[in-house]
Amino acid sequence: MPNIVEIAVSNDAFQTLVTAVTVAGLVEALQQPGPLTVFAPNDQAFAKLLPGTVDTLVQNIPQLQRILKYHVVAGRYTTAELKDLTTLTSLEGSPIPIACGDIFEVKNATAIASDIEASNGIIHVIDTVILMG
Amino acid sequence: MTTTLKIPPSTHPYAEIIHRLEAGGSMLPDTEENLMQIIGIYKAYAVPMDFYWRDLLYIAERVFLDPLPFFKYFLPQEYLDLPNHYAGETADFRVWQKGEASAHPELLEFMDKGELKKKLPKLFHHLWHDRINMEFAEACMRAMLWHQGMGGLFYDYLESEEYLGNCDRAIKAYFKGNPLMLGLYKLFPEMFYEKVRELSYYANLGLFWEVMAPVFFEMSDRYDAGEFKTVPDAMDFLVNGIFIAAGRPIYHHVYIGDQCYELIPKSKGFMWLYEAALPYVEAVFYRTAPFRGTKSYNAQAQQVPADQKDFHYGILYADVFPVGTAGIPPTLLMQDMLHFLPPYLVDYYQQYCRGEDDMLIQLGITFQRSMYNVTSAVIQALRTALLYPLDDPNPEHLRKNRQFFEAQMDRFLRPEARLNDIQNQDYR
Repeated sequence: MPNIVEIAVSNDAFQTLVTAVTVAGLVEALQQPGPLTVFAPNDQAFAKLLPGTVDTLVQNIPQLQRILKYHVVAGRYTTAELKDLTTLTSLEGSPIPIACGDIFEVKNATAIASDIEASNGIIHVIDTVILMG
Repeated sequence: MTTTLKIPPSTHPYAEIIHRLEAGGSMLPDTEENLMQIIGIYKAYAVPMDFYWRDLLYIAERVFLDPLPFFKYFLPQEYLDLPNHYAGETADFRVWQKGEASAHPELLEFMDKGELKKKLPKLFHHLWHDRINMEFAEACMRAMLWHQGMGGLFYDYLESEEYLGNCDRAIKAYFKGNPLMLGLYKLFPEMFYEKVRELSYYANLGLFWEVMAPVFFEMSDRYDAGEFKTVPDAMDFLVNGIFIAAGRPIYHHVYIGDQCYELIPKSKGFMWLYEAALPYVEAVFYRTAPFRGTKSYNAQAQQVPADQKDFHYGILYADVFPVGTAGIPPTLLMQDMLHFLPPYLVDYYQQYCRGEDDMLIQLGITFQRSMYNVTSAVIQALRTALLYPLDDPNPEHLRKNRQFFEAQMDRFLRPEARLNDIQNQDYR
């Protein structure tokens, strides 16, 4: 089974995410055994960010890492397990509100694909880049 | 389709303003007069701010723990030339299109000749107080240091072993060969650490304002070129500015000799939005502290809130008239802005109230209007980042936006808030 990075690289919808993870030097971390749960914003999610936001983050790697780590949680959480939870703690340290019912929402993002199994975790695809706060 | 057609209207006392925010507006009504006032004052604020951020960084990075910092307001050429990261050709992201990265020409002229319009030795201008009032910037910094607990990771880091270790190295290097100060450090290390924490807030605020000065200059240029037609145009530009700078690092480097000591390294991942901008707005716009000389408060009679989070002495609550007592921070800022008002704002003030005689009060109230617009931009930026688009088709998402806007407006329910006043053009 492919790992989280291999799945992202093989999918055209994650080009920006793959670039960001590569620039941030987090490829290796996402290839570790984990397991990890990744809330993966697709390209359209990144395109919704206001101009300049990504430019500044790409110039400042630790800050970019912090935003990306906010999208990752230690452990493998399927939608079935998330139904009973209201928050998860991200690798960044801040909580991520979860509402997994008829609609699966991750903070202000909506999951558009979920439970994508990887060898070292699970991926839920979201339509918005989530931010701490 | 507007929000109120998708969900019932708000019943909040500030429902009209909430509906305006939901339609993409500002807390400040959209009138030509308001737009002219706020842009004019942003420009007048940006010039002294260009001094504030440079001097804040100079003090944090170079003056450091000088026990007798008599000359901390005397900016060396190196810091006047320090390239702004958001202006000039070397910018990381060029926000101010026409401007240079070094100190603003109007600032340099004022530093040279002052209000007296005479070229005197710098020390005379300083002692005569004919200069930029850095004490205002330091008051803002102190508000941030004192309030804390306003989100972000900054303050917790200042209590960490890692930070204290970094401080220890810098303190020992700075006082190398000075047995008196090193002895004092050994006896009272916490006193030194606390002073360095304060200096870290100097750096924090300097890096925050480094962004805001070119943002305000650019807004002034665009208004002059006829590109801003409405108050929401101005607010939206601020929202964009917030997102451009959101990820810039907040750090504190100290230069001792030719060595750089990283007290707060960039690698900590601290960000402009979380560790500087949001705490600044909370500490300075909302909270601050009562200013001595304006009014007597009896803390035992609960005239001062028991919790710091309930403090309400910032510009959004200020009664600008009694604040006119000489020497207190808001007056110092008003005096600084007075020197750089665009001509159209001077003409405007001369038509109202006592003309030139109460210009400081009039521009103070303009400043209050302009800061309600900046706060609106912060509220809209937070809504953009953490909640939902204003035209979201899902009514549940619009309800969450509504709850957020109503919670923000709850802060202006207390009688001291000036939100109702600024709805009226006659408030001056």
